[in-house]
Amino acid sequence: MGLANLDNEAQKIVAKYEEKRASVLPLLHLAQDKIGYVTPEAMEWTAKWSEVPVVHVREVVTFYSMYHQKPVGRHHIRFCMGTSCVLRGCETQLAYLKKKLNIQDGETTPDAKFSLEEAECLCNCEAAPMMQVDKDYHVDLTEKKIDQILGGLK
Amino acid sequence: MTEPILSRNFNVPNAWKISVAEGRGAYETAKKVLTSSKPEEVVQAVTASNLRGLGGAGFPTGKKWSFLPKNNPKPVYLVINADEGEPGTCKDRYILEKDPHQMIEGILISAFAINSHKVYIYIRGEYVRPFENLQAAVDEAYAKGYLGQSVFGTGYAVDIVVHRGAGAYICGEETALLNSLEGGRGLPRLKPPFPAIVGLFGCPTIINNVETIACVPHILKNGAEWFANLGIPGCGGTHLFSISGHVEKPGVYELPMGILLGEIIQKHAGGVWKGRKLKAVIPGGISAKILTAAEVDVKMDYDSLKNAGTMLGSAGIMVMDETTCMVKMLFYATKFFAHESCGQCSPCREGTGWAHKIVTRIISGHGKPGDLDELLRIARNMERRTICVFADAAAWPILSYIGKFRAEFEEYIAKKEAVISNEVRDLRF
Repeated sequence: MGLANLDNEAQKIVAKYEEKRASVLPLLHLAQDKIGYVTPEAMEWTAKWSEVPVVHVREVVTFYSMYHQKPVGRHHIRFCMGTSCVLRGCETQLAYLKKKLNIQDGETTPDAKFSLEEAECLCNCEAAPMMQVDKDYHVDLTEKKIDQILGGLK
Repeated sequence: MTEPILSRNFNVPNAWKISVAEGRGAYETAKKVLTSSKPEEVVQAVTASNLRGLGGAGFPTGKKWSFLPKNNPKPVYLVINADEGEPGTCKDRYILEKDPHQMIEGILISAFAINSHKVYIYIRGEYVRPFENLQAAVDEAYAKGYLGQSVFGTGYAVDIVVHRGAGAYICGEETALLNSLEGGRGLPRLKPPFPAIVGLFGCPTIINNVETIACVPHILKNGAEWFANLGIPGCGGTHLFSISGHVEKPGVYELPMGILLGEIIQKHAGGVWKGRKLKAVIPGGISAKILTAAEVDVKMDYDSLKNAGTMLGSAGIMVMDETTCMVKMLFYATKFFAHESCGQCSPCREGTGWAHKIVTRIISGHGKPGDLDELLRIARNMERRTICVFADAAAWPILSYIGKFRAEFEEYIAKKEAVISNEVRDLRF
């Protein structure tokens, strides 16, 4: 899975902290960025570097919403369902997006291009409704804008 | 207020780059303080400025710093809480993304004041772009010699590690944040001991919010009295108010502490949108109790809002117009808390999920006559019965939405219709 290639980076991460166990979250981020999700091997690799039991890593992976335990789409969409977004009409646009991609919350399109997650507040409330696609926030969403954003992705 | 202070660089292009920031005066105050002041003088200034924690709790910052043990042999950690997640709040993102050097300068002065040499910035995982700007700013500050073994050549060492969260609202609670930073689940800790005594890795630790720390250079530059006079007695400075929902001009506005809520809505945010009437306002993030349109004549500061039965919290103002369905708003609020409960304490783990199931039943058109009283009972049994205040925050929307709009809830239950269609929401309960 190419985790061995990350050993140099892992070493640098571990060295930042007074205690190695503090590197669990950044190591998991690193592995997920590389592989796309957190595999059982990634958990073992994280446990080895941070010197904690694998079960502890598993606890962490299941606690935080950003770690995926199965493959997601090439583009992962977090659609904000915070109060401000609801007030600005995000439900209609969520319905539009679900229909457009023909998937529900937590699902991935058959071509593995997009996955959808209904997210709690992403704190861009001043420009609601909004969604995150991969690293980027997209704000003041309209159906047309959703088409443009998704259409511009490979 | 004459000039913006915290937000002065928000509209300056590339202010996150050190060359631009320094052109605007960044690091001048820190240089002066670290070369010519004593740590006690900084603590005194921050205490006298009446700076209060702007993450939500409003605890006096100087007092928090004073809780550190004297003659302590262990390292002292400064941890910056950049885990912004309170629904309705978007202010810290502006500092992190647009003007991180302001905060780094505040970190240098604050670390010097509390004798800390190691600083962790815990930023929420979803804030990828703000993280990239912040990390670039930290790297540039290192390259300039403003961070590292000898800050400004003074021999005083400060190291900053930027640590990303991974998607958990509870990690904004400071002791949950510490557990998360130590590589575990974000479960809040029992207090006492408070973090100032036993914090990160068992060492004395001060945890301050992004905006709080960003205020520090301005206090040292212009004086404690100047800062105190910007605000109201007991609460100095300005505050970044996030305002969203049904207003014409949602945004982040820097305004003096103690400004009237109605004035923020009318004057700064352009009033209620589409010419509609105001129905309700949440003044300080989803956790704050709701205010009705008749209650918005209130000052926006910690004590005034407490007296009004709610709280300033994170100053995330959410405005609701006359068309807003309170049942729907409670549905999304209970969904949020049920999703984000860390599960450590039974009243919260069970209560948040149970409440959400009942509200889901109501919103699907299957509400029962006793449901509202049941919800109130569940909420009261969560309040003050858990390790952290999350359960209280989960109880307050239930208590206040039903308490202030009970007739609307009763009418909804009697009608037996759903406002949210099954196409939009999965309404299993």
